Amino acid sequence: MPRRRSPARLVVALSVAAALAVFLLYTSLAGGSTPSLRPSQLAAHSGTVSLAGVVLSPLRGDANEGGLRFRLRDVNGTRAVPVVYTGSVPDLFAVGRDVSVRGKVQNGIFVAERDSLVTKCPSKYAPDSKSKSS
Amino acid sequence: MDIPALILAVLLALVCVLFVARPFLREPAPEDDRLAQLSPRERERVRLAEERDRALAALKELEFDHRTGKISDADYRELVAPLRRQAAEALRALDPPRKKAHPKRDDVRA
Amino acid sequence: MAELGRAALVVAFGLIVYAAVAGGYATLRGRRRLLDSATNALFASLGAVAVAALVLVAALVRHDFSLVYVADHTSRELPLRYSISAFWGGQQGSLLLWLLVLTGMGSAAVALNRRLIRDVLPWTVPILGGIASFFAFMLVFVASPFTTGPAPADGVGLNPSLQNPYMMAHPPLLYLGYVGLTIPFAFAMAALASKRTDERWIVVTRRWTLASWAFLGFAILLGAKWAYEEVGWGGWYAWDPVENAALMPWLIATAFLHSVMVQEKKNMLRVWNVVLVTGAFALSLFGTFLTRSGVISSIHSFTQSSIGAWFLGFIAVVIAASIALILVRLPVLRSPTRLESLVSREAAFLYNNLFLVALALTVLWGVVYPLISEAVRGFAVTVGAPYYDFFAIAFGLPLVLLMGIGPLVAWRRASLRALGASLLWPTGVALFTGTLLLAAGAGSSPAGLIGYTFASFVLAAIVLEFARGTRARRSLGDEGWLGAFAGLVGRNRRRYGGYVVHAAIVLLLVGAVGIGGFGTEQQGKLAPGESVRVGSYDLTYLGSSQQRGANAVEMRGSFDVSRGGNELGPLSAGKNRYLAEQQVSNEVAIRSDWLRGEDLFVIVNQFNGDGSVFVKVLVNPLVNLIWLSGLVFVLGSLITMWPDAREQRRLARRFAYAPA
Repeated sequence: MPRRRSPARLVVALSVAAALAVFLLYTSLAGGSTPSLRPSQLAAHSGTVSLAGVVLSPLRGDANEGGLRFRLRDVNGTRAVPVVYTGSVPDLFAVGRDVSVRGKVQNGIFVAERDSLVTKCPSKYAPDSKSKSS
Repeated sequence: MDIPALILAVLLALVCVLFVARPFLREPAPEDDRLAQLSPRERERVRLAEERDRALAALKELEFDHRTGKISDADYRELVAPLRRQAAEALRALDPPRKKAHPKRDDVRA
Repeated sequence: MAELGRAALVVAFGLIVYAAVAGGYATLRGRRRLLDSATNALFASLGAVAVAALVLVAALVRHDFSLVYVADHTSRELPLRYSISAFWGGQQGSLLLWLLVLTGMGSAAVALNRRLIRDVLPWTVPILGGIASFFAFMLVFVASPFTTGPAPADGVGLNPSLQNPYMMAHPPLLYLGYVGLTIPFAFAMAALASKRTDERWIVVTRRWTLASWAFLGFAILLGAKWAYEEVGWGGWYAWDPVENAALMPWLIATAFLHSVMVQEKKNMLRVWNVVLVTGAFALSLFGTFLTRSGVISSIHSFTQSSIGAWFLGFIAVVIAASIALILVRLPVLRSPTRLESLVSREAAFLYNNLFLVALALTVLWGVVYPLISEAVRGFAVTVGAPYYDFFAIAFGLPLVLLMGIGPLVAWRRASLRALGASLLWPTGVALFTGTLLLAAGAGSSPAGLIGYTFASFVLAAIVLEFARGTRARRSLGDEGWLGAFAGLVGRNRRRYGGYVVHAAIVLLLVGAVGIGGFGTEQQGKLAPGESVRVGSYDLTYLGSSQQRGANAVEMRGSFDVSRGGNELGPLSAGKNRYLAEQQVSNEVAIRSDWLRGEDLFVIVNQFNGDGSVFVKVLVNPLVNLIWLSGLVFVLGSLITMWPDAREQRRLARRFAYAPA
C-alpha cells in the first residue's frame, strides 16, 4: 500500500478509464441510439430509424387490426412519406399533429414497429403522451 | 382598476426603499462603519477548534466502531493511541496552559 | 391588477440588483451599513415577489382572462384547485415560483445566519442577489406573467394531464428541491471568495442541503407516481429527458451529501466538495432549462421558447465564474490530509461518489447527445431506455453493494478480518435469499436476481448495524432494548437516519426490479362478455358507458376481475374527453393487491364502434414498494435532519472563540 503518495488519484484515474471502457463496450455492442429523421432525410439512411413529422389526412385502416395508414410530412417542408402502423395509438394523435414512429422502409412504405408511435405535445409544459410496450 | 393598483404599487416601492435605507437612517453618523473581519488569530482559533472537534469525534467513533465489532481489539489498541495524542495536542493548542484561562469576549475586533 | 403585478416585479428586480451590486461593493470595501442595506433589500424583494405572486393567484382564481397567462392556462369550468395550480402550469408562472422560493429561502438562510454572514461570509448576499437577478430579469423583460391582451370569452384551459393532485404538488416540491440547492452553493462560493477553507459553510447549510435533497427525491417519486397513474402506459419511469432533468441534480446532491461527511471527519476532498455543489446547482438550473424551454423535443423545436438561450447563457456564466473562483483559491483549498488506504470508509465514500457521478454523467450524455447530434449531423437521434437501463444496472448495482459494505468499514484503515466477520452474516442471508429466489423461478431475469440478492445483502447489513449498535449501547447502561434503540438513534441521528434512507433505496430497488424484470402483459380485442387471462387474473369485459363530468366527457369500459374462480370485484378504465382543452386523456384502472404485492393494470386503448374494446392488461409485481420507499425515504430524511440540541451546543462552543 503506498504510504506517502495518495492512492486517491490513482483510484479516480482507474475509475474514469473503467467507466469509459464500459461505455465504449456498450455503444459498440448495443448501439443505444437510433437516428431520428425527417421524411426528406429518409432516403439517405437505411435500417431502423425514428421518423418524425406532421400527420397528413387521410387516415385509413385500424392500428389494432391490419394497420393504420397515413402520410407523414416534414414539419417545415413538403416531402411526405407513406406510413403503416400497428399498436396503441396515443390519445393526442390526430391529423396535423407532430408525431414520431420507429421502423424501417420496406418497398417504399415506412413500416412502423409495434407500439412505437409517440406524439409531441404542442403546449409548453406537458410531457409527451406515450404508448409504450413496457 | 388602474388607480388602486397604482397606489398600491407606489406604497410597495416606498416601504421597500425605506426598509433598504434603514441602516443609514438608524445610524446617520456611526463611529465605525467597517465590516467585522476575523483577524488572523481568530481564524487560527477557529481552525484549531475544528481540529479539536475532529479529533474528539474520531476518538468517539473509534470507540463506537470497536464496541460494535467493526474494529478488532488489536487494531483498536493500535489506532487509539495516536488519536488520543492528536486530541490532546489539539486541546493544548487551543487552550495553552497559562495564567489567562479564556480569551476575553471583547478581544474580538468589532 | 396586472399593473400592480408588473410593478411589483419591477420593484423586486430593482431590489435584487441593488442587493447584488451594493452587497458586492460593501463586501469589497468593508462597509457594514451598506451590507446591512443590501441584506434588507434581499428581504424586501421577498415581499415584492410575494405581492406579484398574490396578484397572479387572485387573477387565476377570478378567471381574469385579460391576463394572457390566465387565458392560456385556465377556463371557466376548471375546478378551483386547478385554477390555483395553473400558477405553475406554464413558463412565466413557474419562473415566478422559482423566484418566490429563491427569495424566500435565501432570505431565511441569511436571516438565520445573519451574524455569521456579516462577519464571516459577507459574499453570500451579493451571490444570492446575482442569481436572483437573472430570474427577476427574465420575469420583467423576457417572460412576464402579467402581459395583457383582449380578454377572450373563455380560457384555453389547463392541460388535462396536469389536472390531478400529483401535478398540483409536484412542481412546488420540485422547486423547493432545485432552489434549495442554491443555498449551499451560495455559501460555498461565499466561503471561497472570503478565503475561508474551514467547514463552516457546510455546517450551516447542512440542513438546507438535506431538506432540498429530500424534497427533490420525493418530488421525483411523486412525478413517477403521476406517470404511473395518469400517463398510464404501465411503467413508472421512462428515462424521459424531463424526468432525467430532476434525477441528475439529485444524484450529484447525493454524492455531495456523502463527501461532505469525509470533509467534516477527515478534512479531505475539499476541492471535490465545492466542485460537486457547483455541479448540483448547475444541474438544477439545467433541469429547469430542459423542462421549460422545450429544447428536448428538438432544436428545430416542436415547442418554441425564447427563454432557452437566456438560461443556457446564465448556466454558462455560473459555471465559468465558479470554476474561476475555485481555480483562484485552489492553493489554499487543497486538503492537507491524504487517503491512506483503499479499504477504508473514506475510500468507500470516494467509490460511492465516483459511481454516482458516473451515473449522473451517463444520464446527462443521454439527454444531451441527441441535441448535439442534431446540431452537428443535421439529424437527431433518440436515446432509448436500453441505454439508460444498461448503465443504471452497471453503476447502480455496485452502488447498492457499497450501501451495504460502506457502513461496516472503519475509518482510515479497516481491519480486514473484522470486516470479513461483519460481512459474514449479510452475505449468508444474501446467498440464502438468492438461492431461494432462484428456486422460485427468479432466474428468468439474471439482472433482477442479482438485484434482489444485493438488496437482501444491504437490508441484512442495515439490520446488523441497528442490532449491534443497540446491543453496544445496552451493554453500557441499564436501558432495555427499546430504550437503547431509541437512545442509539437519538444520539446518532445522521448515521441511523442515513441507514433508514438506505433501506428506502433498497425498497425502491426491489420494487423497480419486480416491475421491470418479472411483470407480464397481454393485449387484445374484447367484445362484451369476452375475457382475457393475464398472470393469475381473469379479466372479463362487460360493456362501456359514457357520462358527463365537471369539465369532461368520461367514457368507461367496465370489467370484472377474478382469480382462480374467486370474484375480486369490478374495474373501470377508459378515457376523458376534455371540452375546453379539446384533448383526450387516458384513465387507467389499477387494482393493488397488497398481500401478493402486485398491481393489475388495465388500459383501454380504443373504444370500437361495435361495442368492443382494445385493451392492454399488465401485472406489475412489487410496484407498490416503490411508493412505500418514498415514505421511508421521507422518514429517514426527517431523522437525519432532526435538530439536535447537543450538537448545537457543541457547535456554539466551537465558535465561541470567534464571533458568531
